[in-house]
Amino acid sequence: MMVKEQDFSRRSSAYHVRPGGETLEALFLLAPGLILLLIFLVWPTLNAFWLSFHRENLLGTQREWVGLANYAEMLRDPAFWRAVGATFLFAAIVVPVQIFLGMVAALMVARPFPGVNFFRTLFFLTTAVPTAVAAVAWGWFLHPVGGLLNRWLEAMGLPPQPWLTSVELALPTLAIVTAWAGVGFTAILLTAGLQQIPEDLYEAARIDGASAWRQFWHITLPLLSPTLFLVALLTVLNSLTAFGQIHLLTRGGPAESTMVWVYRIYQDAFFNFRFSYASAQAVALFLVLLLLAGLQFRWFGRRVHYG
Amino acid sequence: MGRLPRWLEKPLFYLALGVYAWLLVLPLLTLLSASFRSDADLYAPGLLPPRPTLEAYQEAIQKYPVGRYLLNSLVVSLSVTLGVLLVSASMGYALARVRFIGQSLLFGFVVSLLLIPGEVTFLPLYLMVQQFGWINTYWALTVPFIAAPLGIFLLRQFIRSLPQDLFDAARIDGAGHLRILWHVALPLTAPALGALAALTFLSTWNMYLWPLVVINNAAMQTAQIAIARVVSVEVTSWNVVAAVSILVLLPTLLAFLLAQRAFVRGITLGGLKG
Repeated sequence: MMVKEQDFSRRSSAYHVRPGGETLEALFLLAPGLILLLIFLVWPTLNAFWLSFHRENLLGTQREWVGLANYAEMLRDPAFWRAVGATFLFAAIVVPVQIFLGMVAALMVARPFPGVNFFRTLFFLTTAVPTAVAAVAWGWFLHPVGGLLNRWLEAMGLPPQPWLTSVELALPTLAIVTAWAGVGFTAILLTAGLQQIPEDLYEAARIDGASAWRQFWHITLPLLSPTLFLVALLTVLNSLTAFGQIHLLTRGGPAESTMVWVYRIYQDAFFNFRFSYASAQAVALFLVLLLLAGLQFRWFGRRVHYG
Repeated sequence: MGRLPRWLEKPLFYLALGVYAWLLVLPLLTLLSASFRSDADLYAPGLLPPRPTLEAYQEAIQKYPVGRYLLNSLVVSLSVTLGVLLVSASMGYALARVRFIGQSLLFGFVVSLLLIPGEVTFLPLYLMVQQFGWINTYWALTVPFIAAPLGIFLLRQFIRSLPQDLFDAARIDGAGHLRILWHVALPLTAPALGALAALTFLSTWNMYLWPLVVINNAAMQTAQIAIARVVSVEVTSWNVVAAVSILVLLPTLLAFLLAQRAFVRGITLGGLKG
């Protein structure tokens, strides 16, 4: 990987402490953080499962144990499945687009040349753009009347498109916005990965007369694969939990076409006041994320080249 | 595929760079342009505003407490960052350098917490925060995020990679763990602390779903969800929306330009956690 952990922590014989002798000091250093972790991370996680096995009455005041009823309802709920479908379609567009755009940027600025820092700043810039600002920028860029993109289409004699207001286009458009917002992040990680590839490999390839294209396929891609794999994993996880840009630009519409998984949870909890049903969907999302992370490590983990 | 003449390679490379960079930044440029347009010029064609004006900024500041939004975001982001640094440094140090029973077990526990996404905990957390009476307070926006498994993990790895001899020497001189943490480990951990600070600041500043559900009072809104509100009120005045957005963008943009190295390192380290 990019940072190799050098483990210097061999147990030295310079001093002797009996095992467990430092437990008190450790406790002092660990206690505040540990208490916070238990209250604000562990307990809510357990509680999410607990909630998902309950159901509230109409007033939302009391909860009774219903076992797996929420999960059974979820699996029969067409709205839930539509949200799952939209979420995966969304991710299927975001991941390749974002990795491609980030890869192009990283390939251009990984090696130094005069002015490289200026271009790195521009290519990495979207990391500094908050989701809400990115969403607004695109909302205006795609505006039906004032937006530059539709102006260009008109100038080329093409009809302007209802980017965010048509049932067919809204989800892919949001996916492009999301991919754009992630380009800086992807470019930073891929640049770091590219810089780990030893320069002399390319020199040797050039002496052998390999074209730039062959160098990319036979040196860059295999040696970049661990980084690429990591970037893919992070992009998949991020795109499956997208929310902010969707809330800001389409509110799940039109006709629920951009109602993704997390938006469904938000909607069920805070508008339909069904916290336990929403919790069941959140737990299901958690399991899917865990499964994907595990699968990716099992299936791709073996094939990637760890240089 | 024929090869390009050598003298053409360089100009073409810079041309490609320039075009790509311009396309990537274009949506932000159109936003910047909209923020300098008057209501009358808003829909005028062209990337540049025909008659640049600050009207939209004046209207934005008069109608919305933009300063307050930014202050809220700043207070929250700085508090969380400071808290994350303190907790991560002390826990990371203890997990790396203090011997106690169950150390590797505890470390494994912290690593397993890395897998829990915020989307799973936010509903129970909301109910809890509501019971604490923290709705519409800074407490709700800060306290739950101060103990961050990623920060603890990163600093533990970094402190573990420092040479053991330094710690031995300090021990022989009779320093306790707190003094070693403060005088030996922390100064050497500065690059990792900087990277973690940048990463934490950025992700807290960008938080969206959580402030959206725990804040419903205009004065306590963070910049992100204030934008959502402005968008829903100013349906047609995109120049005002743009002005508010540019004002919200400025602090992170400036921080990024000034501390790009720390941000890049933070993202590289953070991405590497997997």
